[in-house]
Amino acid sequence: MSLVSSIRTIATWELNRSMTTMGRNVLPLAAGLLVLLVLVTVFAAQSGVHMQDGIYRIGIDDPDVARVVATDSRFTIGLADGPALRENRFAYDVLILNRVVYVADTEKGRAAARTLERDYKSYVARVAAGEPDLFAAYPLWIDLKYVKSEIDFLATQSGQQVGAPATTPVAPAPSGPVEVVTLPPSAVPVSEDDLREQLAEVGSDHPLARYTGIFSENGQGAQLQTPSELSPPLPFDALVLVFVFIFPLYFTSQFFMMSVMNERVGRTGEPLLSTPVRPSAIVIGKALPYFGIMIFVSAAITLFIGVPVTILLPLIPVVIFFLANALIIGMAARSFKELSFVSIFFSTLATSYLFFPTVFANTHVISIISPLTLVVLEIQGEGFTAMEYVYSTALFFATSAVLFYVGTVNFREERLFSEKPLASRLADFVSGGISRDHPHLSLFLIAAFTIPFVFMAQMMTLVLFFNFPMPLSLVLLTVSAAFIEEVAKSAGLYAAARERPGFLTVKNLCFGAIAIGFGFLAGEKLLLFATLAQITESIFGSILFASLQVLWMPLLLHIAGVLITGTFLMIGGRRAYVPGLLVASVVHCLYNLYFLTGVLL
Amino acid sequence: MFSSFLMVGLTTMYDPEAIEGYSTVNYGVGYAGAESALIDEFEKRPDLVLHRTDLDAALRALRDRRVAAVVYVPDTPPDAEEPVMLTLYLIQNDLQSSVINVKLKEVLQGYEEELREVRADRRTSFPIGLNFPESGGGENFFEFVYGLLIPLLVLLPAVVSAALIIDLITEEYQRQTLETLMSTPVTFREMVWGKVAACAILVPVQAGAWLLLLRANGIAVNNAAPILLHVSAGGLFLILVGALVGLHYRERTSAQFIFSTALVVVFLFVLAVPYNPFNLIVRLAVDTASPVHWLVLALVAGATALLGWAATAYARRVGEAAPGTR
Repeated sequence: MSLVSSIRTIATWELNRSMTTMGRNVLPLAAGLLVLLVLVTVFAAQSGVHMQDGIYRIGIDDPDVARVVATDSRFTIGLADGPALRENRFAYDVLILNRVVYVADTEKGRAAARTLERDYKSYVARVAAGEPDLFAAYPLWIDLKYVKSEIDFLATQSGQQVGAPATTPVAPAPSGPVEVVTLPPSAVPVSEDDLREQLAEVGSDHPLARYTGIFSENGQGAQLQTPSELSPPLPFDALVLVFVFIFPLYFTSQFFMMSVMNERVGRTGEPLLSTPVRPSAIVIGKALPYFGIMIFVSAAITLFIGVPVTILLPLIPVVIFFLANALIIGMAARSFKELSFVSIFFSTLATSYLFFPTVFANTHVISIISPLTLVVLEIQGEGFTAMEYVYSTALFFATSAVLFYVGTVNFREERLFSEKPLASRLADFVSGGISRDHPHLSLFLIAAFTIPFVFMAQMMTLVLFFNFPMPLSLVLLTVSAAFIEEVAKSAGLYAAARERPGFLTVKNLCFGAIAIGFGFLAGEKLLLFATLAQITESIFGSILFASLQVLWMPLLLHIAGVLITGTFLMIGGRRAYVPGLLVASVVHCLYNLYFLTGVLL
Repeated sequence: MFSSFLMVGLTTMYDPEAIEGYSTVNYGVGYAGAESALIDEFEKRPDLVLHRTDLDAALRALRDRRVAAVVYVPDTPPDAEEPVMLTLYLIQNDLQSSVINVKLKEVLQGYEEELREVRADRRTSFPIGLNFPESGGGENFFEFVYGLLIPLLVLLPAVVSAALIIDLITEEYQRQTLETLMSTPVTFREMVWGKVAACAILVPVQAGAWLLLLRANGIAVNNAAPILLHVSAGGLFLILVGALVGLHYRERTSAQFIFSTALVVVFLFVLAVPYNPFNLIVRLAVDTASPVHWLVLALVAGATALLGWAATAYARRVGEAAPGTR
């Protein structure tokens, strides 16, 4: 059977099977629940969300004033005459007596006063909107324009601040050529009726309401705004995107994870393995339907909210990444509980990797490591270049490819059906890649293959630490980068030592360390040349990738690191692995610091 | 360090104006165009430094990030028929723009107030005046922490436990360990209730741990005991729903799928009802709950008892139908 036809067979079979096991019992109930969901959504939209009802108590002596806050369900209003309220004053967070506001001296009282102040402002605005002479009530309109300004990654290094603090009253002199800008017109380009309509529409009192309207407004509000309508731009659009795009993807990948797990439960996958179909065909064939479904779901969401279809491009690597992880988790988990917890842990990690970079949208180079940033850019209508696409998705493609490879190699009976704890199972997967005849070649390859994961982990630490003050962020980066690299480098050796305790002889250790050192260096250089030139130029880059400056130095360092961990392993057994790792990390840190100060001086 | 970063981020998402309190830097603002009362408004603010220049230079400075915003004011007189339409330039897609936006909003509102006074004789109706005391500070954690974070945190264990019981029950079926278990003197009902109990105990323990952690972080939660009672009752309800779904499907994928869909429906429905458990937990946490909450607790407990009875009956039926059980 050719590979393609067997993939097709497996894919069809997978689709049929999941549809029938799911279909018979689940579909009617799922349809029923969907109808219920629509009904409940309508109900919730009418009734509103009653989460914060009555958290504040307010005492008012005037029914007219009470009308100001009557619409805000957060307040429980106590209406009584002045003396009665005064007597009872400790029962209230806020008192309004004779139109003077008294606030309880507690955190809650102050919060209540803030809320009241906002309610009052919107009440004032409501009254003003009813004026016959609109421009007497709203004399000031603001035309908000955004200017694009990208700072490069080296900004913080060269002493330029990301913010624009002004300490001197001297006007800043422009540093570059000044373009002539046409002065904006002073006349209002919109008719008065339109403005009045716009004012009537602005009734969103609840802070959460702005998130529901993010897509319906297509990202931009009205052209002209009054000062009170002025609301800060959302710096966290990306979180909404996470929920809209990433959550369905994660949800669908769960089905794939379960399908893989189901093959292992009760050895049901055994007949499949006994067929002459290759493991690669099984894995690809099983994943294919879910890939299709995930792309279909994303496309449906894209069309539904009316954004460009090109945003599917950056989502494809995310889909593949999710599937690859689902495969490994499904193959490694011992029980359903473990599956649940590991998959939740993974989704938290993956989501934060996707989400956090987009928060730092002003540091362009950092934010682009998340494919979601490309999605944001595309929705804003700015688009992205092919280079940016490669840059932000290369790691996803590389890690997914490695994970799929590991999954395929280990898609064998003795790996799938063994009852071992998670960690040793993962070690098994790694040692599955070590051949008995050419252990050193295998170690070389494993070290090279861990590079994408190391980069991904280091990217995460870079994103996390970037906004910390300068010396601290450098130290944290140095330490974490060293530790991550040492873990990755020793993984192959550890797995080999576990599988074959006699493997660790002095000779083997030396050769292994050299192989790993070379492998690590080769992988590092390959990936760096492909993508990360911009980061390596900055000071942050020189910590992460300090090893690229001179070739033999990092090679020695890599070998020394593995040797230290390996020696600990050889002498102290597996229990000495962690101490060995720590010692190696310390050595690595010292080297990095030395190199760094050398570079700085 | 990291948690405070998260906290700021989440609060900002909930209430973008809260970030104003975190910035202690002064910002430069470019001012171009005609003289106006806006300049006086800016002078009242120590944290905003005005640079008067022409628009071209100001925009260039904005692009270089030497100023944080640029305002252009036209020469419309304050008492003119038409409105004053000023143009505000900000840096796109930038956290700093959000901060400066909030600061400028206050300045512009002051200017609007002034213009309104100038044009006051053209107005017909006036709002009721209220005198507010000088407000003390900018932080607005309160509503976010008590109104959103606490109910989510204490109810999270309930959801986790309910998903856990599905795993526990379907695993017995799919791994075919049920027959072994049933060969011991344990009845099917006892087996189900044992699993339910294990999951149910986790709920108040975890929720209590959250409350203790919050207290350690300086967030005092009132009425911890009633809150835990509400959480336990709601948690047991969800766990029983999970157990029923798991017993019915005996297969993890379907059971989890149906359960998570049902969960969304239930939560959405519950949130839309006044005096729902979420709201009561919030009210209890800030100590404004009326005794009504005992009534709601009784209702939830009643519903849970009913569901418990249904689960027992169902478990008995399943147990009798299954071979090798007694």
